[in-house]
Amino acid sequence: MAQNRYRVLVVEDEGNILSFMATMLEAKDYQVLTARTAAEGMLLFRSHNPDLMILDLGLPDGDGLDVVKAVRETSSAPILILSARMGENDKVQALDLGANDYITKPFSTAELLARVRAALRNRGNANGSDSAPSDTLTIGNLSINYDSRRIFARGEEVKLTQTEYNILVLLAENRGKVLTYSSIIKAIWGATDDGSIKKLQVNMSNIRRKLHGDLMHRYIHNELGVGYRMLDENEQY
Amino acid sequence: MKRVWDVWLADALLTIGILFAAFAINVLIQNVMETKDLVSMIFLFAVFIISIVTRKRFWGPAASVAAVALVNFYFTYPFFEFNFVIVENLVRAIIMLVVALATTSLIAQVNSKRKAEEEARKEKLRANLLRAISHDLRTPLTSIYGASSAILENYRVLTQEQREKLLGDIQEDSLWLINMVENLLSVTKLDGDNVRLVKKSVPLEELIDSVLIKFSRKYPTETVKTDIPDEFVYIPMDPLLIEQVLLNMLQNAVEHATGHTVITLSVMIRGDMAVFEVKDDGCGVPRDVRSRLFADYFEGIGRRSDANKHNMGIGLSVCSSIIKAHDGEIDAYDAIGGGAVFRFSLALEEMNDGTE
Repeated sequence: MAQNRYRVLVVEDEGNILSFMATMLEAKDYQVLTARTAAEGMLLFRSHNPDLMILDLGLPDGDGLDVVKAVRETSSAPILILSARMGENDKVQALDLGANDYITKPFSTAELLARVRAALRNRGNANGSDSAPSDTLTIGNLSINYDSRRIFARGEEVKLTQTEYNILVLLAENRGKVLTYSSIIKAIWGATDDGSIKKLQVNMSNIRRKLHGDLMHRYIHNELGVGYRMLDENEQY
Repeated sequence: MKRVWDVWLADALLTIGILFAAFAINVLIQNVMETKDLVSMIFLFAVFIISIVTRKRFWGPAASVAAVALVNFYFTYPFFEFNFVIVENLVRAIIMLVVALATTSLIAQVNSKRKAEEEARKEKLRANLLRAISHDLRTPLTSIYGASSAILENYRVLTQEQREKLLGDIQEDSLWLINMVENLLSVTKLDGDNVRLVKKSVPLEELIDSVLIKFSRKYPTETVKTDIPDEFVYIPMDPLLIEQVLLNMLQNAVEHATGHTVITLSVMIRGDMAVFEVKDDGCGVPRDVRSRLFADYFEGIGRRSDANKHNMGIGLSVCSSIIKAHDGEIDAYDAIGGGAVFRFSLALEEMNDGTE
């Protein structure tokens, strides 16, 4: 039983917050390592190689962004960012540097656990998982057929344009991860210019309309001002 | 920069205009009547008016110099030539200048006094707000401290049910505090004169989406109907602030529209404005409360029933500040058929961010 527990590293300088997160994660059967500074966090990351890192951006001895950068040099382990509400810039920067998702303080334990679960579930995706490459990708009741470049939602085909298909595939392959506007734009169009974000938003709007028969079926989450995230099968509704 | 230039331009135009008017009146008088007495008086009056209406202290004295020159050149002997040797002319010049300087100085004093009063008023308001907020913070904090102490001190004797009730209360009060803090943080973004609002072009459907998800997390049992335009719409705004406004309004409906069954959030495009409405089918806004709804700090009208555990607090006033900072309008009225409608509008102006 013990061997299969995921190892989670929590880097947070505020004692009480660290303590309730550690308690809650342990109660859910995660192995928890804690650090209260960036330096300690990096040390523990290197020596213990956790499956996931929860990182507060406001650390006393260093910029959380530098920690993300450093971790990403050697590892693709999921990184969840904790940040204060105001301003989207720090979140966008962290995501662009390689973080997977972010949670805004104050947060509920339910929210945190859900994000941790999603990040761990999807951590093999983008960099090619162990399973043999197949010609269909199925996420809940959404399925993408690579061979024929067709999309099916709840059993029915959905007609998308070339660009819309590419965007959807990008989101699907990175499900569980928040993709920032600029990372999507760079991946799809190669370069960003002034009108790119609007172009992306219009495309997303069309994709949303085509996929969501009614608003109750939801596949893609929009993070206002930051980017988009495809829900995995456990989160779809 | 542009603003400063505007003020100077406006003042210059006023000065020239008024002097010209005075000049024209005098020429008229000269031709119609035979008297020369009024010339100086009219110009003196003109200089007086200019000292009052112009915003920069330069123009009063400048106008008096111009007026003296005009009177001397056109209206007094020797005509069409400057002559200050004649004592009368010199005295006239001095008097005009003195009047101009005195008036300008007097006006400046009045203005600074008014400004000081305004500052004092703002300070008083801020102090009142802080007092009210502190009072409001004390209530949930008392409950949190009390409940947690009760649990710690009596852990073994309390039943599981009692413990869970107290813990639930702590959580509820914490959430209320979080809400209050979010509102306060929004207010700091709009600190009075230094409103540095950064507007972005936000797709309406994404804003509504985000709001609904956040709202349903907090109030999973509430029903919200939405009615937004079919076409893709952008609205320039600060997305986090407007999100705050909508969440405040929705929360307001939940907590204070007694007897409501459904809340409707609708957005309509009317010309070059986007109109947002939050409507409920509850008890409506009581008449005596309506004028104070968006005031700086609003207290419930003394009813402390369980349903209205907390005052409306600063939620609506924050909405008002945010909308005003967006140059929009906000108001509330009764819905036909019962219930209340809270409405605000935002301009759909062209965004100057390099896109078509």
